[in-house]
Amino acid sequence: MRILVVEDDALVADAIRRGLESAGHAVDRVDCAEHARTALAAENFDLAIIDIGLPCSNGLSLLRSLRQDGLAVPVLILTARDGLADRVNALDLGADDYMVKPFAMPELVARCRALIRRSRSAASALLTIGALALDLGAHRVEVDGSVVELTRREWAVLECLALNVGRVVAKPKLLQAIVNWDAEIGANAIEVYVSRLRSKLGASVPIRTVRGIGYRLDDGSH
Amino acid sequence: MTAATEPRVISIKWRLLGLLLVPLTVLLGLGLFIDYRTGVASIGGVYDRALGETALAIAAHLRDANGDGHIDFDLPPQAIAALRTRGSDTVAYAVRRIDGVLVDGDADLGFVLPASEQAQLFDAKLRGKPVRVAVHAAQVDRTPLVVAVAVSTHQRDSALRRILASIVLTDLIQLIGTLALVWIGVRHGLRPLRNLGEQIAQRSARDLAPLQDTAIPAEVRPLVHTLNALFDTVRGAARAQQQFTADAAHQLRTPLSGIIAQLEVLEREPVSAELRARLLALHGGCVRLAHTAHQLLTLARSEPSAITHEDYARVDLEQLVTEAVSHSLDRALDAGLDFGAECAPAQVLGNPWLLRELLGNLVDNALAYTPRGGRVTLRCGDDGCAGWLEVEDDGAGIAVDLRAQVRERFVRLPGSPGNGCGLGLAIVDEIARAHEAEFSLDSGSNGRGTRARVRFRHASAEPVSLPTAKPQ
Repeated sequence: MRILVVEDDALVADAIRRGLESAGHAVDRVDCAEHARTALAAENFDLAIIDIGLPCSNGLSLLRSLRQDGLAVPVLILTARDGLADRVNALDLGADDYMVKPFAMPELVARCRALIRRSRSAASALLTIGALALDLGAHRVEVDGSVVELTRREWAVLECLALNVGRVVAKPKLLQAIVNWDAEIGANAIEVYVSRLRSKLGASVPIRTVRGIGYRLDDGSH
Repeated sequence: MTAATEPRVISIKWRLLGLLLVPLTVLLGLGLFIDYRTGVASIGGVYDRALGETALAIAAHLRDANGDGHIDFDLPPQAIAALRTRGSDTVAYAVRRIDGVLVDGDADLGFVLPASEQAQLFDAKLRGKPVRVAVHAAQVDRTPLVVAVAVSTHQRDSALRRILASIVLTDLIQLIGTLALVWIGVRHGLRPLRNLGEQIAQRSARDLAPLQDTAIPAEVRPLVHTLNALFDTVRGAARAQQQFTADAAHQLRTPLSGIIAQLEVLEREPVSAELRARLLALHGGCVRLAHTAHQLLTLARSEPSAITHEDYARVDLEQLVTEAVSHSLDRALDAGLDFGAECAPAQVLGNPWLLRELLGNLVDNALAYTPRGGRVTLRCGDDGCAGWLEVEDDGAGIAVDLRAQVRERFVRLPGSPGNGCGLGLAIVDEIARAHEAEFSLDSGSNGRGTRARVRFRHASAEPVSLPTAKPQ
């Protein structure tokens, strides 16, 4: 995949480039917003990693102008500031993810992978997580290449977990995903559907129970 | 503002009331006394004149009929009987020569020689009872005589009592009315001050919004203006400190981030085992440095001087706990811990970023100090009066006598694992204090492990117009 890194700090930029390249990505690096705009307009990137603290122009205003120009490229914001306002601003302005420096390189690589996967699946409606493959358009599920039949509600729960892969999904959110079909669902219904999903999908699709909160479909890394 | 907070300082209201009421009471009391004295004098005068006339009337009826110096009282017995009573009072009289020999009347009425031609009036006792006596000198056919008349004082006294009662009643009504008017006037006059006092009392100590300076009496307007200027200065200082820590964070993190990322990339390259070990040690040191820098900046940002209410919002504790669990789940799984939560809906008012740091530090501690196979549980809820957060583990726990010590900065218990710099609980303590929350450290259930609990002030005690923190 092709990734644009917009980062003025040479040390950081070089490390990101090396880290992503060793994970199999092609990386271009620019050090200011103006060059970033030019690069993104001229060529297709699968992902842009933008540092908020750019010297000439703020990374957030770059993000705003990209979105105003209708560029849908996934954006991961990097920042050395930890205030909540920046984070909220970034997500409001259309950033797809947000990381605070210093970050762990494996996490950065994992998040890039997740972002690219998500944007791919949005385009192709195909989502692959380890042994699990979802066709979001056709509501088709495959595990290790063999088709698994799911009911509509089981599908809804799995889809919600898969779209948030690697993140804990609270039970109320899962409940919202299935409540559209039937308002008469009790709070413990989720447990029933998750247990059915586990037996249908098998151990190669790890749906983890997070005590007192909900579930998490583990990413390949865990 | 109230006298209750500082018992030795008298409130303006009581001072004004004291200054007005005491002299007013004295003045009105003096008026009452003068009224009474005037009343007594005029009533006494009326009775005395009547007594004097009685003495003159008796003298007018004395005759030396035979011219031999023998004086007769020429009133018929019925008239004398009528003379001897006057309403409920009894009248005694005595007519004597100037040598004291009784001519007529009551012998037990003593003899006094009048000093002048005028009737002499005085109080005395007759037969054990108080009487008013008039002594009058008379000349009957060249014989000098003394006529004394004594009348009991029942009627005069009861008239005096009636007068006194009516004077006291009207003066008391006047006194009470005046005091009531003073009381109402003082209360009413001080209302703007009281309103200002309430406005200040209702504020949190962290609220730096300017006080309203409309409807403020001119006397305290300089005070309000000075306070507002002070609030402004403090707000500016807080903003400057926030800006400084944000800049410092940026300047520290960017190179650290580069070094750590470079080390991580290097570790993946084929290098000798010896070099890899040195890289890993270097990496560990940098991570520790980054952690310490972050903790120091967090501490700087949670200090009272850096916090204003402007950054406060409603924070959903359930969501905060869910995020914290999600954030630390992998670490907990790596540490082989049963990591979970028990949440009830709860909202508090606070700085969302700082509350996340608070919970993050408690979770970090619990994860670091709980051995493999242990259990760490985050809880939140609302006990009906305030929201609370709790992190409980069944690890080694903190000895009772060390629980105060571990809240101090840079204090690490001997044998502590992990990359900690000894600031975690100091940060929790500082952030809790900034939110006027109680932070307590206890043993977990069954007396094992640690239960860290933060109990907030009730959210509804605060203004409701605050924005809600945006969800992730």
